[in-house]
Amino acid sequence: MRRTIRATALLGVAALALAACSSGSGTDTASSAAPTASASPTSTEPVTLTMSWWGDQEAPGAQKWLTAAITAYQAAHPNITIKETLQTTDGLIPNFEAAAAAKTPLDIQYFWGGIYAQQPGWNGNITPISDLLPADEIAHYTNAQMEDSYQGKVWVAPWYVNPSFPVLVNKDLLAKNGLTVPANWADFLKTCDTLSAKGITTIAGGVKDGWFGGWLYSILGAQSVSSQKQVLDAVVGNAKFTDPALADWWTRLQESQQHKCWNNDINSQELYQAQQLFVDGKAAMTVTAGPDAPNFATKAGGPSKIEVIAMPAWSDGPLAGKIASSSQTLGVVSWSQHKAEAAAFLMFLHSADQLQAWYDMTGSLPADDRFDLTQVTDPIKKALFSYGTDNVPYLENFIPAQLDSDAVFKNVQLVLKGTETGAQAAADMQAQMERLRTTDRNMVSNFTNWASSQ
Amino acid sequence: MTEVTTRTGRGNPPSAGRGRSQRGMWHAALWIGPAMVVMLFVFAYALVQLFTQSFKYQGEWTGWDNFRIVLTDPLFHTALAHNCELLLCVPVLIALALMLAIVLAETIKGHTWFRGVLFFPYILPVTVVGVVLGQLLTLNGAFNTALRDVGLNVLAQDWLGDPAIALWTMGGVIVWKEVGFGVVLFLARILSLPAETYEAASLDGAGFWRKHWSITLPQMTGVIAFYAVTEAIVMVSWVFNYVYIMTNGQGGPGDSTVVTELYIYRMAFADHSIELAAAAAVVLFALTLVLVVAFFRLQRKSLLAVVGE
Repeated sequence: MRRTIRATALLGVAALALAACSSGSGTDTASSAAPTASASPTSTEPVTLTMSWWGDQEAPGAQKWLTAAITAYQAAHPNITIKETLQTTDGLIPNFEAAAAAKTPLDIQYFWGGIYAQQPGWNGNITPISDLLPADEIAHYTNAQMEDSYQGKVWVAPWYVNPSFPVLVNKDLLAKNGLTVPANWADFLKTCDTLSAKGITTIAGGVKDGWFGGWLYSILGAQSVSSQKQVLDAVVGNAKFTDPALADWWTRLQESQQHKCWNNDINSQELYQAQQLFVDGKAAMTVTAGPDAPNFATKAGGPSKIEVIAMPAWSDGPLAGKIASSSQTLGVVSWSQHKAEAAAFLMFLHSADQLQAWYDMTGSLPADDRFDLTQVTDPIKKALFSYGTDNVPYLENFIPAQLDSDAVFKNVQLVLKGTETGAQAAADMQAQMERLRTTDRNMVSNFTNWASSQ
Repeated sequence: MTEVTTRTGRGNPPSAGRGRSQRGMWHAALWIGPAMVVMLFVFAYALVQLFTQSFKYQGEWTGWDNFRIVLTDPLFHTALAHNCELLLCVPVLIALALMLAIVLAETIKGHTWFRGVLFFPYILPVTVVGVVLGQLLTLNGAFNTALRDVGLNVLAQDWLGDPAIALWTMGGVIVWKEVGFGVVLFLARILSLPAETYEAASLDGAGFWRKHWSITLPQMTGVIAFYAVTEAIVMVSWVFNYVYIMTNGQGGPGDSTVVTELYIYRMAFADHSIELAAAAAVVLFALTLVLVVAFFRLQRKSLLAVVGE
């Protein structure tokens, strides 16, 4: 036994000694790609590009479109082969982090906008797209400046617009119960009272996987702020998440719980699972991803039965009653050996033919102002696309991802369960923010720089 | 090795014995060597990296800073507390596995089938268990529906959605999955016990409880201790899969099911704080090491007991 303990102790000591002597790999800094900003494939040698993306779960038809786009691009550039791999929602960020740590062969990566593109940029894992594409090209990309720019650079190329997040209303179900589409928050709560008394769910949602908490933060929390700058100020410590403008939405969330607006199993349902209640006609309203909303509305009965609205307004703030606009993006990873070729492919995806093909195959809005909006006649799509080009910031994209999961996801679950008040949730969000300023030692400087870019 | 030395000492000249012993050592080293190289590469390299990172921040040596941050982080305290609470499942596992093993040992008809049923959950992948039970245990899932159908509405709970009971639901799932291992271990030991002792006890008028309390239990302390330590290690550092799958990686609702492994994972891959994750992993490693040392101590004790018999 002593031998075992001695051996274990020796192993520990050896590990410590080696740790002390090891020079360490240090941090990876962003490889400084020469800013070519030309976006034409520079090589005639065979090149294989690897693209990792999220699939078509919020924009059905995206897979078909991408396959066709790759085929067309490879036909025009025979020396280039493009391979794609799919990621799940939960795996998207961790798998990219792992790939970045291991420098796994990868050229193009899918990112959600805002902080989800900023963070890998700050970590040196993205080559700014503005170093690779001409400025007059990037100027056409929707939300690139608002969400993805940092100190004069643009990290990633927006791909398609995600109006964030529309509320779908089943007008028929409301009418059958003597109700109309709620015009404001008070109407909404009355709708909840009426429907819950009849055993009908007013609005379907699932927070078990957390993501819907972030959506709620944005569609409720944005109503009392004037711009994303207020949120960035709270992140760096110049304001507090307990200030009324940043905290009152928690009380509204608590009200929705007290008025029994949600399905009673919201805490044990995942986001997409719960939305099915709306499609099945068991809930009068739900919140969906913008690009998927037209398909969702069709499944639930089409424009004659379904209406798209912004979350009912509880405030008269400038962002109340509006739907935010965010763009899902593609970026060129910093360790790619073929940055110019990867950027050229991203630019190809914004060509007129590809923008049109995207709309035809997915029914959602490409993130490019060169897309001809006049061809859109469907009332649901028209409403969504109008919101999508409004430049309203999507708040969840302007807070640290850690704060989103450690404070927003968590406290939304607790408030909707009724085990925490809105005031307690706001206090915890502030406490989590203070904690994160300690655990993430670069957060304040990164966010301060980002705020100055706004 | 003890046996070889003893024989050498008895029958061979010292020099010839030393030569044979050395040859034996080289022979053993030759066989063990490749495995040792792999072990060193996999474990020693990883450990060195872990310790290195835990003392650095962005490549710079920062001493104990990372440990100070982790050890003062309220979320880390919560995670550790949850691991400690899960340790309470160990006595439940032992009692349940022991009871089932004894019942199985006494069962004459269909005991193979019952053994299969009890062991089945243990061989199921955690992912399968997590996904299936995650669905069954929703507020309006099959489990609660069944309870309501038989009039037990009061027992129908939001098993994974209520922060007050979510950790215990998780513990229940772990117990359900892990108990099969204990049953097989205990049953094997019970079946190896000499039947004569039981026959003698029966002749003396001992009943079911008396026989197992006074004969079975005292002879099973070694294997019970082994199982206890193994399961304690599971509860401290092997529950990530359950939590990750059943809560979609959130450790929710709220922080109610966050455990140390999930904290480390989130620090490394969600919060981009690889150095803090390394420091938390070193703390977890130290805690697990205590259990591993206890495990070796018990294993040696059991072996000595067997040799003694």
